[in-house]
Amino acid sequence: MDRVVNDFTINIATANGTGSQSANLILLQTLYDMGIPVSGKNLFPSNISGLPTWYIVRVSDLGYQAPGDRTHIQVLVNPATWDEDLAALEPGSVVIWNTDSKMEMNRSDVVSYPVPMTKIARGLNPKLARMIANVVYVGVIAEILGMDQTVLEESISKQFGGKAKAIELNSEAARLGRSYCAEELTVSDPYAVEAREKKEGGFFIEGNEAVALGSVFGGIQLLAWYPITPSSSLAEGVIAWLPELRTHEGKATYAVIQAEDELAAAGMIIGAGWAGARGMTATSGPGISLMQEFIGLAYFAEIPAVFWDVNRVGPSTGLPTRTQQGDLTMLYEGSHGDTQHIVFIPGTVEECFEFGWKIFDASERFQTPVFGLSDLDLGMNRWSCHGFKYPDQPMDRGKVLLTKEQMDSIENYGRYRDVDGDGIPYRTLPGSGLDPILYRGTGHDEDGAYSEKPDVYYKLMQRLKRKIEGARDYLPAPIMRDEVEEDIGIVFYGSLENTIVEIDDILEGITGKKVSTCRVRALPLHSDVQAFVERHNTVIILEINRDAQLYGIIRREFPNHLIHKMHSVAYSDGMPPRARLYAERIMEVLKEVGV
Amino acid sequence: MSDKPVRAIKLNVINEPKDSYTGGKSSLCPGCGHDQISSVIVNSAWENGVEPHRIAKMSGIGCSSKTPAYYLGQSHGFNTVHGRMPSVTTGANVVNKDLTYLGVSGDGDSASIGIGQLIHAIRRNVNMVYIIENNGVYGLTKGQYSATADVGSKKKKGATNETAPIDLCAMAVNLGCSFVARSFSGSKKQLTAIIKAAISHKGFALIDVISPCVTFNNNDESLRSYGYVKDNQAELHSVGYIPHFSPLEQVEVPAGSFRDITLHDGSTMRLETISDEHEISDAVAALSALHRADADKKHVMGLLYFDGEKPALDDDLDLHSTPIVEMGEELLRPSPAQLDDVIAALRS
Repeated sequence: MDRVVNDFTINIATANGTGSQSANLILLQTLYDMGIPVSGKNLFPSNISGLPTWYIVRVSDLGYQAPGDRTHIQVLVNPATWDEDLAALEPGSVVIWNTDSKMEMNRSDVVSYPVPMTKIARGLNPKLARMIANVVYVGVIAEILGMDQTVLEESISKQFGGKAKAIELNSEAARLGRSYCAEELTVSDPYAVEAREKKEGGFFIEGNEAVALGSVFGGIQLLAWYPITPSSSLAEGVIAWLPELRTHEGKATYAVIQAEDELAAAGMIIGAGWAGARGMTATSGPGISLMQEFIGLAYFAEIPAVFWDVNRVGPSTGLPTRTQQGDLTMLYEGSHGDTQHIVFIPGTVEECFEFGWKIFDASERFQTPVFGLSDLDLGMNRWSCHGFKYPDQPMDRGKVLLTKEQMDSIENYGRYRDVDGDGIPYRTLPGSGLDPILYRGTGHDEDGAYSEKPDVYYKLMQRLKRKIEGARDYLPAPIMRDEVEEDIGIVFYGSLENTIVEIDDILEGITGKKVSTCRVRALPLHSDVQAFVERHNTVIILEINRDAQLYGIIRREFPNHLIHKMHSVAYSDGMPPRARLYAERIMEVLKEVGV
Repeated sequence: MSDKPVRAIKLNVINEPKDSYTGGKSSLCPGCGHDQISSVIVNSAWENGVEPHRIAKMSGIGCSSKTPAYYLGQSHGFNTVHGRMPSVTTGANVVNKDLTYLGVSGDGDSASIGIGQLIHAIRRNVNMVYIIENNGVYGLTKGQYSATADVGSKKKKGATNETAPIDLCAMAVNLGCSFVARSFSGSKKQLTAIIKAAISHKGFALIDVISPCVTFNNNDESLRSYGYVKDNQAELHSVGYIPHFSPLEQVEVPAGSFRDITLHDGSTMRLETISDEHEISDAVAALSALHRADADKKHVMGLLYFDGEKPALDDDLDLHSTPIVEMGEELLRPSPAQLDDVIAALRS
């Protein structure tokens, strides 16, 4: 039997609220600290305790981070999904199962490793048996795969940060799992891990935490938020970092308000933007839906405000703990009437940090609400990171008049007069004593006075369009990788970054050639995106939704002669993207169009 | 040079003429109670000597919310969206706690679409004045009843209102609002004293002002018409205001019994007893007064409830004394060394 080294997927089926998350993170951290490319996906329910949870660990020397096409090693702890999980396995898969679950192992075509996990845990500590049983399976996996015990114990100690008793108890549980496996089981599967050289200074971080940290370095002045999965940990990340990083003379240089709802959160950050400060909220699709009216106000009255949308599955309450790229259009065109908004779309945790601070500059520079689009996959899973780059530009506060001299240097000042021809007017702040206006969501002229005149409204809307259009090449350019043939190109965005390499490899396996890729990182689209489409023969717009939202935007905005060569592959089932599934759909489309 | 004698322009304590506090021409119906309130706002701000540019005038949507265009032309303002002025003001307030926030709203804004935001602004004790120009009807949409319309009241067109009203003062008292008053747009003296006191108060000051709608709800069968309110007021006390820059000794001491309350900026509110003394620190007394008046189909007037000690939102947040909005990059962006520390912690 050939050994399969560093190339398999582990699926761990447990129940929510049983402490399995700690055990799974220990497993992930251990593999990571052994230098093995690994990623973890938490598939959790919208529930506090009791419902099924799966944790998927992908081990891949090629660096693949998607969940993979199939499970190679299944851990069965949860009776509720036992039969289903077992039935889904391909012959030859490994099953590590808890014999204390009172469930049957009815498959003879798999490699079966029965382990009395609860009994072993009970022997160690009867009260905490249910929790410790999880670390027992970690020990069993460690033994089967040949993981380093020292690194494992370091990970346990990291996970329980300084709590000596917990560290000792869990380390012992892992050891007992290992020794049970060594003494009682005959290991007969091909899967193994081998340590690799670990890149210096790497660490795991969730996208939400990286955005949070970025916003603190972006000078966030007000965080107003309302709890919603999967964005709560973003707001809580900001709250956790602020006291350490933003205290001056023992006092806060920021304010945090947990609002009564998303409408109020939006109102608060718009109030802060109006007053001249950097306000931010973190929410998900349902929250953005509620904020629509305020988004239009900020767009029309030209007030900076930053909204992070950690996309979950819609419509409505949808699948609250699953991932999607379904909010793109809503962000780009949010609120009634003609609107257009700037959207930052990070695809990596490094970009989560970078866009976390840059987004404030864009919002103040263009005096408009700006959105960050992350998703549950990027936001709530742990990703490998090699550090964050300190902001390389000073804070851009935009065209704010602070002194009488600045004010007087502008001939015929009006809050909404386009002095520089870039569509961005100058503003004064409340309390400054400089020319005030009554900001309003109603029609207004260049001085901010109420107006319903046709030409005034028309010109205002044209200027707003010009203003946002002017952001295209200011915003992060797409990341492009061109193949010399320039035959097939894939345009994609966001967390698909973590699947694209594997998709490309699968396509190469079928077609014999690689494709070019272009990862969009902001809306409105950078001019490089159009150039990418122009120089390729066939372009696939790939995204995680049903309605081909980016494809729709591109079709509307790009010239007609490009439309015939662009094709959509849009698919969403709530799961983090599986490479083969998307690759197959791309192949179908290519076949259909005769490529 | 003109030989005409120059008429001395009256200036306030900071040497500003009243013109510095006026605004544009009103487009409301002639005789609208809201215009009277606007003129009281102008007078109160001028007489209190607040710097015009240090006032932020906030509003939602509706007839009342249009009025910020008609006063304080030298102040920045924000006519926001329907019922959501409290959240916008809250956000502005925490980043710039040193401005005087003067919110104006209506009964549609405050008792219906925006009641949740009003409740939460009260709960947080946002430091602001919140004036409700309350006429019991929606004016801009042509005269539908609002949620404050009294039972048995009948507007000019349509049926008598049978749905129980929401009493925003009673609600505010129950929420522990730190300053709750009711007044009438026709009682200029009382309203001026209350608004001045509200400006001097630190915390959320709710002033429910009955302000008749001359177009849709000023007929004899309406409980919010000029005539009805004038004849059916239950005054708790007469309210006076003595600014901190004008010493108390110079003010004549009333003959009857009275009580002085010191406000946050050192000014004094003087409550003179009319018949029975009303205890303003007693929420039960405030609710009793409201319910008694309600049973008699009367409108209680005066300061219902007051708590000068309750911390405001900006106190709770433990903010630096410099308003956040005035801080520069050196305070807002942590240093490269701090980022190194953070990353080191993430690696460990």
